[in-house]
Amino acid sequence: MENNSSYWQANLRIIATCLVIWFVVSYGFGLLLVEPLNTIRLGGYKLGFWFAQQGSIVTFVALVFWYSYKMNKLDKEHGIEE
Amino acid sequence: MNKHTKTAILIAPILAVLSFAATDMYQEHQASAKRIFVMQVQDQCDIQAKKCVLKSDQFLLSFSHADGKTIINSTYPLDTATLFIVEADNQASVHPLGMTLTPYYWRANTDLAQRLAIPGNSQKLRIIANIKGGSYIGEFTSTTQ
Repeated sequence: MENNSSYWQANLRIIATCLVIWFVVSYGFGLLLVEPLNTIRLGGYKLGFWFAQQGSIVTFVALVFWYSYKMNKLDKEHGIEE
Repeated sequence: MNKHTKTAILIAPILAVLSFAATDMYQEHQASAKRIFVMQVQDQCDIQAKKCVLKSDQFLLSFSHADGKTIINSTYPLDTATLFIVEADNQASVHPLGMTLTPYYWRANTDLAQRLAIPGNSQKLRIIANIKGGSYIGEFTSTTQ
C-alpha cells in the first residue's frame, strides 16, 4: 500500500513537472514573455516568435519522450516494469 | 512502445490544441482592448495644396479640401472619423465626417477654405479616426503656403 502511494506521488510529480514545462513554454515563452524574448535572435528568427511557432511543439515532443523515460524508470524502481 | 509512451503520445496533442486555443482567446481579448495611437504630421501640412499627411506606423491619413468639403483619405478602412477645428481660445467646433462610397474616404462640410484662403493663414485641427480596436488621434496645424 505504501509502495502504491509512493509510486503515485512520484507519478504526480512527473506529471506536474511536465505541465509546468508545457505552460512555461507555450504560454510563458510564446505569449507572456514574447516581447523580451523577441530581442534575442535564434538562427535569424526572433526567439519569442520561434517558441510560439516551433519551439513549443519541439518541447512537447521532447516532453513525450522524457515522460516515458521517467515513468519507465519509476516502474523499474517499483518492480512493475512491462 | 509501452503504456507510458502511448499515454504521453495521446495526451500531448490534446495539451497542444488546448494551448493554441487558449492563446487564440488571449490574443483576441488583447486585440479587442481599446488602444490609442498618436499621429504625427509628415513634413508640412497645407490642406489647401492637398499636401497634408498624418502618419502612425503604416497608417496614413491624407487631408484635402474642395468645394466646401474637407476630405480625408486613409490607408485602412475607418469606422468613424471626427474633425475638430480649434479656435484661438482652444475651443473646438466638431465636424463628424461622413463616409464617401468606401470607408477609405470621409468628408464633412467645413469653412476651412475661408480660414486658409490667404497664404500664411494657419489653422489648428484635431482628428480622431476610429478603427476596430483602436483610435488614431492627431493635433496639427495647416498653413497655407
